[in-house]
Amino acid sequence: MNANWISLSIIYGLALPALGQQSLDSAYRTTGTAVLAAFEPQRKVLQSSSAVLLDGRKEIGYGVVISSEGLILAKASEVDLVVGLSATVDQTTYRDVKVLAEDPLWDVVLLKIEASGLVPVVFASTSDLAQGTWVVANGATTRTTRRALAGIISAKSREIPASGGAALGVTLKPNSKILEVLEAHEKSGASDAGLKNGDVILSIDGKAVRKIEELGELLRDRKAGSTIQMIIRREGKEISLDVRLSAYGELFTDQMNRNDQMSGEYSPRRSGFPRVIQHDILGSRHVQGGPLLDLDGRCVGMNIARANRAESFAIPVEELKQLAETLVKQPQN
Amino acid sequence: MIALLLCGSMRLNAREAVNDLTAPESRKDLETIQKSVERVLPQARAATVCIEIDEGSGTGVIVSEDGLVLTAAHVATRVNKKATVILEDGTRLKAKTLGLVADKDAAMVQILDKGTYPFVEIDRAESTRLGDWVFSLGHAGGFDKERGSVVRLGRLVRIAGATFQSDCMLIGGDSGGPLFDLSGKLVGIHSRVGQQAQVNMHVPLAEFIANWDGLINGEFIGEGPYAEKPEKGNGYLGLATNSISDGGLIVTKVGLKSPAELAGIKDGDILLKLNEVHLEKREQMQEILKNLSAGDEVTFEIKRAGKLKTITFNLGER
Repeated sequence: MNANWISLSIIYGLALPALGQQSLDSAYRTTGTAVLAAFEPQRKVLQSSSAVLLDGRKEIGYGVVISSEGLILAKASEVDLVVGLSATVDQTTYRDVKVLAEDPLWDVVLLKIEASGLVPVVFASTSDLAQGTWVVANGATTRTTRRALAGIISAKSREIPASGGAALGVTLKPNSKILEVLEAHEKSGASDAGLKNGDVILSIDGKAVRKIEELGELLRDRKAGSTIQMIIRREGKEISLDVRLSAYGELFTDQMNRNDQMSGEYSPRRSGFPRVIQHDILGSRHVQGGPLLDLDGRCVGMNIARANRAESFAIPVEELKQLAETLVKQPQN
Repeated sequence: MIALLLCGSMRLNAREAVNDLTAPESRKDLETIQKSVERVLPQARAATVCIEIDEGSGTGVIVSEDGLVLTAAHVATRVNKKATVILEDGTRLKAKTLGLVADKDAAMVQILDKGTYPFVEIDRAESTRLGDWVFSLGHAGGFDKERGSVVRLGRLVRIAGATFQSDCMLIGGDSGGPLFDLSGKLVGIHSRVGQQAQVNMHVPLAEFIANWDGLINGEFIGEGPYAEKPEKGNGYLGLATNSISDGGLIVTKVGLKSPAELAGIKDGDILLKLNEVHLEKREQMQEILKNLSAGDEVTFEIKRAGKLKTITFNLGER
């Protein structure tokens, strides 16, 4: 697609002539207290089965409580670099939050708090909801009380390809006739695999590569989060490494376009998901990670990204259940 | 008698009772809203189209079987301009802009390919009230077949002059898209937004209805800020010509990066026709250009190395 979307002009002041003007009191607007009062049953589920994640006093995200003994799923990229992470479930704050396992593809981390008798979410049997179906998620919270925000399913569930495609996550030495690594990016799979300065890339998945163009060609159809087998030469020895590909947008911040500028605090990691359901609940990057509920209070997904002003993504419950099982079984790090 | 007639018309435009509640009070009320949206969404979605004009992409909505589309003036940009309409399934159709209202951000587009198109009814009775539940559709961020157009739910939160404000969140690409009531009638067209996500503006359908004939007839109505009034005679081609004895004008110079050069006109080309008018003298071309403005489309029939060729492009701004 080569067309650019047309921008909406932004009105800063809303001083309109008072004459003949009618305005709805904020309580009765879609995000107002009177409207949200109708979602009290779902709010109660958020109160017991969502976790508020805090960096000191600052709210950085939410989590889905998946076991009575304190297992919680959260959005990895919002939690990863936080040192003094704490979690509030219902009215209790837990200071010791352990990171047990992580899935870089879905950007989900499994956390553990020392708790018992928690109320885990009840997974819905399907995320296949008609567009227009009400869904409920965490809004801002007080120390003791969760707040709900409501919206509807607003588009087809689908894959969100990695913005900018898959990337190896290494910088190569310039003007070199071989593929010699200068450095591996801190957050990349290349760095996790131990790739370092001076390593020379010889082949990928059994195919010899010599030029940067060949490397680009090989990576073109790969997906972020998938793993490639790479043979490198280090200090005269050939070594085989399994390297997870990163999403380009994960390693390098996308340039902000005008839609981004009008989107407030959107999620830095908002692409590279195998499948999402889309809804229109107002949010920011700091309310991601919590459960997405239907009117029965069942968990139909996990909020994973505020993509922009008008679009929010959640991991569908089918994939979420599987992901939870895999992460729980993973050897703990 | 009058009272009876009013009752009758109210019955015809039956509003969902949930709209008369200050807020939904029960799960049943919420389900009423949900069921209404689900019921009318397929038709609303089928009639919602992406509009591409020049390099821009906005949204519009079909309101008649033969392909009349309502959109925003800032999407149309000008009257009688070439456009492409993209249906939900990705079908691309030829279209052109009709009239626009520059100070109200209202415009019409006509699909030119013959066909029977899915369309929505417009709210002629102006039955929308403050607090009514509404939903917006639009190709947010441009056309995406995998995703489809995006639906957002909200309430009509402010009515001020020629503006509806809702809390259906809009973003670039939604421009010109439809706002519907719970019965699936078209009540507004997306126009602009506030800094806060909850502040989203739509042009009420009344503004379209009030200017309907002028819009259909391709008139440029009102003054700014949503479309710039074309100024006659301010367009340019960027070429110099001389008349030649056996008819036509020979190109003697093509301006660097001029509209003519970008369209592929070359030194030595012989211009035979401009917009279907045979060219004999340079004055004829000047006369035609005097009545056109920057951005208008021109079509030349030319002869190059003995072969006939047609070249179409837009005039640049002088």
